[in-house]
Amino acid sequence: MGKSLPVFKPLPPADVRRIDQASRQILKRIGIRIKDDAILDKLKKAGAKVDYHNQRVRFEEEWLDELLSRAPSKFTLYSRDEKHNLPLGEGEVHFANGGRVFRIINIADGDYRLTMLKDIAHTATLVDRLEHIRFYVIACQAHDVEPQYYHLNDFCNAFNNTNKHVMGGCDNVEGVRQVWKLASLIAGGEDRLRKKPFFSVITNPISPLTIGPNAAKILSFCAIHGIPVTCASAPIAGATSPVTLAGTLAQMHAEVLAGISITQIFFPGAKVLYGAVPTTMDLRNMEFSMGSSEMGMMSAAAVQLSKLYHLPIRASAGVTESKRPDIQSGVEKSFSNLMVAMAGADCVLLAAGMLDSGNSVSYEQYAIDNEIIGMVYRVLSGIRVNKETLSLDVIEQVGPGGNYIMEEHTVDCMREEFFYPGLSIRYNFDIWEERGHPDMLSRANDMVHNILTEHAEGKDGLLGTDMLREIRKTFPEIKNI
Amino acid sequence: MNDFKALSEAVNKGDNKTALVEVQKSLDAGSSAEEILNKGLITAMNEVGDKFSKGLIFVPQMLRSAKTMQECTNLLQPFFQEGDITSKGKVLIGTVKGDLHDIGKNLVSMMLEGAGFTITDLGVDIPPEKFVEKTKEVKPDIIGLSALLSTTMPAMAQTIEALQKAGLRDQVKIIIGGAPVTEKYAQQINADSYAPDAGSAVNKAKALLGIS
Ligand code: B12
Repeated sequence: MGKSLPVFKPLPPADVRRIDQASRQILKRIGIRIKDDAILDKLKKAGAKVDYHNQRVRFEEEWLDELLSRAPSKFTLYSRDEKHNLPLGEGEVHFANGGRVFRIINIADGDYRLTMLKDIAHTATLVDRLEHIRFYVIACQAHDVEPQYYHLNDFCNAFNNTNKHVMGGCDNVEGVRQVWKLASLIAGGEDRLRKKPFFSVITNPISPLTIGPNAAKILSFCAIHGIPVTCASAPIAGATSPVTLAGTLAQMHAEVLAGISITQIFFPGAKVLYGAVPTTMDLRNMEFSMGSSEMGMMSAAAVQLSKLYHLPIRASAGVTESKRPDIQSGVEKSFSNLMVAMAGADCVLLAAGMLDSGNSVSYEQYAIDNEIIGMVYRVLSGIRVNKETLSLDVIEQVGPGGNYIMEEHTVDCMREEFFYPGLSIRYNFDIWEERGHPDMLSRANDMVHNILTEHAEGKDGLLGTDMLREIRKTFPEIKNI
Repeated sequence: MNDFKALSEAVNKGDNKTALVEVQKSLDAGSSAEEILNKGLITAMNEVGDKFSKGLIFVPQMLRSAKTMQECTNLLQPFFQEGDITSKGKVLIGTVKGDLHDIGKNLVSMMLEGAGFTITDLGVDIPPEKFVEKTKEVKPDIIGLSALLSTTMPAMAQTIEALQKAGLRDQVKIIIGGAPVTEKYAQQINADSYAPDAGSAVNKAKALLGIS
């Protein structure tokens, strides 16, 4: 899959280098503000130029290169079931859903509400069953859990409902520590978890050019404990970064390189992903816009920038401003998903479930996005050209005027050649009428219903009765498990 | 006769420097502050507002013009006899405790400032105590609270409670906003107003103070 990547490069090589040079100038001359004196001390000891008064760290080019060279160009995001392991840096593209929304939209009645812990269980179940969404990102805020324990509850529910890799945005190091303890228990020890970490963590710098104390502490903890981490820069062009795409890329690239080099100070060789979420502001009325064409272009360009340093990248795509699964969401999602996948991103986050500029999810949207991503994967796998696919023999056999329907060649090749959508309507008009005018959305609704009902019939969840008993004993803070 | 053409153009362009020079020139040439304000600045700003509502200019242009207008009125201030004409009212604004999102809040501040309010922006992650302390110091007419995380919304309620406890609640109007915040929530926590975006925040703020 995806062996011919990357095929979409929005920037010519010389421009990739110019942007990189600009970023290196930013790091050297302007520097990054790191709002944590303990971390500043640590960086200073490691050779950084630190201006304590302004909490500013400047990166000399040689020092930067030395740190970046320590970061691995390949590693695996492991899963509890090895068939879902995700090799990074190997030219494969792995799509995942988007995280941490606060609202869920019920498509059937148009109603919406705050998200709860059960929504994490349900969305994890959906991702587990939807084959093209390759790993799960903690989808939403569990508003029914006390703040001190939500990361722990979130991840536990995720682990119990999917064997795929779980990634999650965390806002403080205490939360990460709790999850790490839980995962160690499930893995059968800290060492085993370190060997095959089946969860990873997202944190963010604050554009422009700032890394907050929580982000710095999370980077440090993850690096030291062998948890893959990404410090994903999320500039908004025209608001928190220059309005120009090149300027936004230069600033974003600088922020990401700073985050990555910091992890390499804490632990040389720490598994870290280049993280990019470049977005835009509609300056007519100051409306945040994630589904813009420029978002896709910049995300694809970010892949080129990451590959300049041979770093695996967690890019973003598949986002929309639309509040419902509709024409706008379909257009915007397809557009960026395809661009970023064709650029060869190792991971593409936000690509499933999300609506409303990353504020909302709907269950149906997971099923629809799974299908969009399936179509993207089909594009990535390309047109196979070999003796068999060129089909000379069968063309000769059928000859002028025949047809290919019952040929063995058809049966041999038909499954591999086409992508077979599960939701798109392909029946003819009369059948469509006969079946009550279904559309992609109504079929997504049925699919979700089937997955979740089937799931409800299962018993204890994927962690198993014994492990769950153990978890309940060790972590009384975990609810509903 | 001064037609304020150059000044008007500078305000339209958001060209601070030229505008200030033009205001000074007009003063030196004997125009009254009133005349400069009414015939020059306000007329120009009306044009800007008109162009914005027709979609001919974008928000950054409108904000730059408003800023230019604001600085020109500051320059004129000493020439007016009666009181403070430059401020519609004082607004103390900040993102509540635990929350680092500030773009929306900054936009609201810029728009309010553009509309003639005086802004004290406390920044992000502001605990209730700090709001109380600053309220005593600044004596604002309006306090604006921003939260972008559903998990930091309770800090809005805590801030209002703290103001209540400090006996300051009745002296200020409180307006809240941010993506997860709703009108209903504003009522629940005893805020005076809510606005879904920066444009409506200006109207709501004016309504709170009974000005137009
Ligand atoms: C940009 C962004 C960030 C940037 C912030 C940069 C900055 N300088 O502000 C960064 C990357 C740092 C960030 C960090 C985090 N974020 Co964030 N972020 C966003 C994002 C994508 C856009 C917010 C934004 O700027 N919008 C544009 C502005 C113009 O709109 P606005 O803020 O809504 O403001 C308008 C109105 O709401 C209103 N308004 C706003 N304030 C006020 C105040 C008053 C008085 C009034 C009247 C009106 C008003 O007027 C404004 C202008 O029209 C949102 C998603 C979204 N679509 O909103 C997530 C989002 C808010 N973030 C989220 C999360 C989870 C986080 C993190 C916890 C992630 C992490 N793991 O670290 C951290 C939290 C850090 C912290 N403690 O605060 C979640 C929140 C979920 C929840 N539970 O509510 C969201 C929804 C995204 C998501 N799905 O993950 N984030």
